[in-house]
Amino acid sequence: MSAQPIAAALPEFPVKAASKPAVEMAALALRFPVGRGQTRTIFENLNLTIYHGEFVCILGETGCGKSTLLRMVLGEDRPTEGALSIFGQPVNGINRACGYVPQKYSLFPDRTVMQNLAFGPECTLGPFKRWTHRGRSFRGEVRTEALARLKQMGLQATDAAKYPHQLSGGMQQRVAIAQALMMKPAILLMDEAFSALDPNTRAGMQSLVHELWRETRTTIIFVTHNTHEAAYLASRLIVLAQRRNETGAPVGAEVMLDQIVPFAEETLAARRRRPEVADLVQRIERHSHGAFSAAEEPEAESR
Amino acid sequence: MTFKPFEIEARPNKLTWMTLSWLLFAVGIGLYLQESIKRHRENPDDRVIPTVTQLAQGVQNAFLNPAEEDDDGSAATLKWWQRLPHSMIWKDTAASSRRFLISLALMIPAVLLGLHIAMFPYIGALFMRFVLFFDKIIALSVLPILFIAFGIDELSKVMLMVIGVAPTIILDTCNLAKSVPREQVVKGFTLGAGNAQVAYGIVLKQIMPRIIASIRLNLKPLMLFLFAGEMIASTDGLAYRIAIMRRHMGMDIIIPYVLWVALLLFLVDASLRFLNKRWHPWFKED
Repeated sequence: MSAQPIAAALPEFPVKAASKPAVEMAALALRFPVGRGQTRTIFENLNLTIYHGEFVCILGETGCGKSTLLRMVLGEDRPTEGALSIFGQPVNGINRACGYVPQKYSLFPDRTVMQNLAFGPECTLGPFKRWTHRGRSFRGEVRTEALARLKQMGLQATDAAKYPHQLSGGMQQRVAIAQALMMKPAILLMDEAFSALDPNTRAGMQSLVHELWRETRTTIIFVTHNTHEAAYLASRLIVLAQRRNETGAPVGAEVMLDQIVPFAEETLAARRRRPEVADLVQRIERHSHGAFSAAEEPEAESR
Repeated sequence: MTFKPFEIEARPNKLTWMTLSWLLFAVGIGLYLQESIKRHRENPDDRVIPTVTQLAQGVQNAFLNPAEEDDDGSAATLKWWQRLPHSMIWKDTAASSRRFLISLALMIPAVLLGLHIAMFPYIGALFMRFVLFFDKIIALSVLPILFIAFGIDELSKVMLMVIGVAPTIILDTCNLAKSVPREQVVKGFTLGAGNAQVAYGIVLKQIMPRIIASIRLNLKPLMLFLFAGEMIASTDGLAYRIAIMRRHMGMDIIIPYVLWVALLLFLVDASLRFLNKRWHPWFKED
């Protein structure tokens, strides 16, 4: 039996959500000087609202500005024009309401797992209170919480004393997620966080993050180039594509697809069994002009 | 096992490895001894290539006899360990080490300046061009200026070493700090770290092993500038003694001094390498 097309059943762009906006972009433009008075336009008049509690997967061809969009939310890249706000506050500098899990260099290599996890909370303590009675007690609490986070991520307490280079790629990313969660971020930004992992580890990490989202309802913005991964994880899919003028020069990325996924609440295992996922993947590919094809579905995911 | 010196994939065994690594030392010593015996056969008073006996006497003089200016005649009655602190080599080593360690300590501000140039754009704008310009100045060419400005005392020699090596250390630290992935800095800020915590707690800590490696590489230039300063204007120090002995053709002292300086430098280098491994167990050289 062929899968039933779901396109008609899915709500179309623009998305309306009941919860309050977490990230608002209004008439956003981002241009970079590229020398000789020329500029490269990444975004032009981009309007996008991401709501609190959404799991947004951003897809798009290479170089269309997915990671740049994430860096703007993070506050690292500042828009040339327009307004960008997080929970109603304009973004000015690196946004500390966000947790960040990059693809690489996600952990501090000079610190053990425990020190990596404790880094954020201990920063709030300040350098002089560290050695006071209150500071010691606080550090004890941080340690307890860090061990709980490790367990939540499926790691052992014995891993706490290891340095990042002693862990596998998957374990490092688990610790990186735990590290970000230690600060209880309002928004978790993940930039191709699983792309360097092998298929089995990637499948495990997808389950972990999806469960985490179901439990905590933290707003997650997840940049990926893997259409299956996006279709499995997202509560909302956003496909970006770079528009080009007649000479082929980019004139700014635009949202080609903004799609709410109606079965987002289901467990990942249930989602993977849904025939609609295949239609979602097709739809993503169609809207991205075929500029990028669906990444090969990992073996572990297809089982 | 076959001997294949030009085979990239060759795997010499441990004995071969050890033999080859000591071979040139053995050849060098052998040639020296042969030449020394030959010259002394022709001229028993030859001072250019001293014999082993003369070298041993030179070592004994250097380690147990006081420098001429300190010789009060009472040293001969003392035990060897009591004579050692008054010895020529001891005093010269102490004088050179003092200057060397002061210069090494002055590399700490150089490292911090390099870090700040890399991390803080305003500080970078203020200092970067100036440091780049300073780096191009040949330190020995400003030696006369240093002697005029600071006199011929310690300060001019220390300044020579600092001017010679500090710009390299500053630029090296700056490049190392800039090579820390941006993700690490951003991650630090998202975890609530302030500017100082990011600069010192994340970036400096990560580049520290490489900074120590850079200082290790600069030990020889540091020593070179120390020797230049001491040879031109000094009343003590290892290079001063070598310069004095050159006038008297005192090869029996010069050769042990050269080997002693090499040994000291090797020990400083080995200590820094050991401390680097001890302090940074996480560090793996690329």
